[in-house]
Amino acid sequence: MTETATPTKPKKPGVYVCKGCGIGEAVDADALANVAKSEFRIQTTATQDACCSDEGVAAIKADVDAGTVDGVVVAACSHRVMADRFRFNGTPVVRANLREHVAWSQPPGEEDTEMLAADQVRMAITQVQLTLPPLPSQVQEYSRTLLVLGGGITGMTAAREAVKAGHPVILVEKTDQLGGWANKWAGRMPYRPPYRDVQDSGIAKLVEAVKADKDIDVKLDTRVVKTAGQPGAFTVTLSHGGQESVVNVGAVVVATGFRPYDATKLGHLGYGASPDIVTGVELEAMLKAGGELKRKSDGKPVKHIAFVQCAGSRDPDHLPYCSSVCCGVSIKQALQITKADAKASAYIVYEELRTPGTAEEFYRQAQEAGVIFMKGKATKVDAGAMQVSYTDELLGTEVPLAGLDMIVLATGMVPNSTDPDVPVVEPEKSEAQLKGDINPFSAIPVAGYKPGGAEGPTPPAMPHLDRIPEGGPILNLQYRQGPHIPVLADGFSDSHYICFPYETRRTGIYTAGPVRRPMDMAESAEDAAGAVMKAIQAIQGSKMGVSLHPRVGDLSFPKVGHEKCTKCRRCTVECPFGAIDEDETGRPIINPARCRRCGTCMGACPVQTITFDNYNPQMVNAMIEANEIPDEFSEKPRILVLACENDAYPALDMAGINREKWSPYVRTIPVRCLGSVTLQWVSTALQKGYDGIMLMGCKSGDDYQCHFVKGSAIAKERMSKVGETLKSLALEKERVTMAEVSIADSHRVPKVLNEFAELIGGLDPNPMKGF
Amino acid sequence: MTAPLPNPGKKYDLDFARWVYDNVNGGDKMALCMQCGVCSGSCPIGTNMDHGPRKLFMMIRAGMQEAVMTSNTPANCTSCYRCVVRCPRSVPVTYILQDLLAKQAELGYRAKDSNENIAFAKSFWWSARAFGRTDERLVTAKYYWSFGPAEFWKRSMENLKIALGFIKKGRMHIGMPHSVKDKKGLKAILDKAREIESRG
Repeated sequence: MTETATPTKPKKPGVYVCKGCGIGEAVDADALANVAKSEFRIQTTATQDACCSDEGVAAIKADVDAGTVDGVVVAACSHRVMADRFRFNGTPVVRANLREHVAWSQPPGEEDTEMLAADQVRMAITQVQLTLPPLPSQVQEYSRTLLVLGGGITGMTAAREAVKAGHPVILVEKTDQLGGWANKWAGRMPYRPPYRDVQDSGIAKLVEAVKADKDIDVKLDTRVVKTAGQPGAFTVTLSHGGQESVVNVGAVVVATGFRPYDATKLGHLGYGASPDIVTGVELEAMLKAGGELKRKSDGKPVKHIAFVQCAGSRDPDHLPYCSSVCCGVSIKQALQITKADAKASAYIVYEELRTPGTAEEFYRQAQEAGVIFMKGKATKVDAGAMQVSYTDELLGTEVPLAGLDMIVLATGMVPNSTDPDVPVVEPEKSEAQLKGDINPFSAIPVAGYKPGGAEGPTPPAMPHLDRIPEGGPILNLQYRQGPHIPVLADGFSDSHYICFPYETRRTGIYTAGPVRRPMDMAESAEDAAGAVMKAIQAIQGSKMGVSLHPRVGDLSFPKVGHEKCTKCRRCTVECPFGAIDEDETGRPIINPARCRRCGTCMGACPVQTITFDNYNPQMVNAMIEANEIPDEFSEKPRILVLACENDAYPALDMAGINREKWSPYVRTIPVRCLGSVTLQWVSTALQKGYDGIMLMGCKSGDDYQCHFVKGSAIAKERMSKVGETLKSLALEKERVTMAEVSIADSHRVPKVLNEFAELIGGLDPNPMKGF
Repeated sequence: MTAPLPNPGKKYDLDFARWVYDNVNGGDKMALCMQCGVCSGSCPIGTNMDHGPRKLFMMIRAGMQEAVMTSNTPANCTSCYRCVVRCPRSVPVTYILQDLLAKQAELGYRAKDSNENIAFAKSFWWSARAFGRTDERLVTAKYYWSFGPAEFWKRSMENLKIALGFIKKGRMHIGMPHSVKDKKGLKAILDKAREIESRG
């Protein structure tokens, strides 16, 4: 393909069959080349001893350069390996997996193995014939500037890191000074060796550095009114003292931090009953003020102090999670008190003390200094007697700590994923957005679906859904899906915390610091650097018109055939990343830079009019139909596996590498995400005569593994409707199933396949065969 | 002289743990105890203690002053040092127990002569001082005698069979007690040790 020509689908693909890595011994390569020749009338076919060798690659390249082929099928190993070897100047290349899925996982020389290999070749040729080489989405006017929201340690570190990487920053802080919570802290937990002593927060120095940096435009007393656009070209409206201004930025880092848990809800721990029962944050301010620590009530010096850990944390009635820093903070405060007054007794009443990493050194230091640690759950706090009663797990008895001078409740962190100072906009819509996003089982209320209807699954009760932090949206996104950055359980902003921790579900917007998960100052600073790097990638990606995580560098993007579109809005509602807006007539408008190319919109479209150049409903349909289906008397069932290429397909490859065997009746097609699976493929397969269909993908739920967050959950939802289709075809329900697979499941996958094959083998053949 | 308890007579006292940390020999190291229980598990005499060392240390932290000061745990310690050898946090458990025992006695929580172990220690040291050796018969006899004639008779008769068995196997000799050569010198050493100890 030359730069100027409009890309076209390959008309004369070449097929190259490899005999290396055991393929030659397992199957008849010449017979496979013959399949291409006789069934597809392919002019250029060849068998090679090793396609990936220098000679093999050179031979293919010669054909491409000579113009005899305009598309390449390499029938060799999985597309997950050697991708860089088979790259011919933009010519479409499709791989037929004869190694991991045939030679290494099937017995050599058998009829079934040959049939599987032939089908692999058929699918690959069909695929390449329908592949249009994608062109990048139109390069737009993009901004290199980053918007950082929040002037605390995370935000300031982010700003500094961005400038270091050569990007100007607009730093927006809603209060009248930089520093955030750190301004109120009397020192911080040690973050440098030997990790034993309380260290200065260093915040003043950081504030100075940020103020002095000419590339950081600090905007104090400023709020974000609204945000529109897409990565590379966000337009953000800011408000400062009632004056609105618009800035163009390329990406946004949200570092809004946390708010302490509302201690007034902790009446059962005595908060509010005595001025000497305080929260950790309040004690921190008292320590910051300096001088001798005195009681608020009568000014007497504090000699006996008890810290109640997990006050309202890891408690199903309050915060169900651990805020991870409260233990370290209480240790720090107790150490400061003990060091200032050798006669003081500081008690820390804990259930489990969590001191990850180097904090263990700090814990030991506190023990050496004589801080007294008591393991047990605080059962009662008596404000009158200033008594903390707890059940000591090491003594097995109730112990009263009576006559304390001060009681400190170590409260947890609530993420500022909403802005408590901003009124909730359109309360019902806002709540629906946040809750609908976190509840992986929630029905999606759009045309064609029946939320809570007879066929739909009843969403299970999820108590944590009520714990969305109160407040309005922080960025007020002008997106079809609502103004919020979606949150997961417990109100922290949603991200794929295993693989892509900084990514939010709004591409180009990255969260860092405690808004993402509870963390301390050192972790926040590190987080800020990570998020900034991602934000810079987002700007670069939008400049080049390529996708970001997880399909990094993908040029394809969804296109809508507006003449067929029924304006049903499923795509705009179901997109996990809010990439699709609507115009005033209800037509979907795709923002390519927001898109992550998962294809969930494609799977959603009831008229299959959303397509990618190199991946679309028609292509997979044709691939399904390309396979040869033996007649019902042959006793050779066919099972279609649509395998997510992020986890399930690699797990299958790995199983092949481990030489695990699985049923030869399985035909596997990799899909971008289970979210991209359209029900049409299922019905095509059933009509073609496949006996069973399995969707193999990632775990859904609030501990999802889906690389596109909601894809597998949406697929699950759609599959729950497939029963009707089966019924109308008079087929058994068991024929269509879903399997959750993780990338580490290579030993389990063959079992899953074999069990399903056995089940299908037990059923009558699909009566549609041969029609 | 030991610092008095900050609030004697209280069952629970918030200052007690600090007092132990600051006043008991090895108490500062006790703060490092992580309650793993290796000490109690290693203790050959642990089953005879009302609390093992681990639990006693936790009671100290919980301010259970009364229970700690009347515990028989320190008195039962045989100073075998297994706990010290095995403690992963290098807490000198034996020293702490020894000094706690002294504090119990000193602060009047335990009458100086009330304990069986103390009676045994006295018999032991009498023999050691007199002969430079421990003579099983004399130490045992003197120890039993400290409980009065009736108890002496009862316990002696209970152990008679064991004693005869020992003699039969040549494990216990009959005749005058063995003694070291330089008894005078040994006495001088012991006197000096006592003098050093009394200096505090």
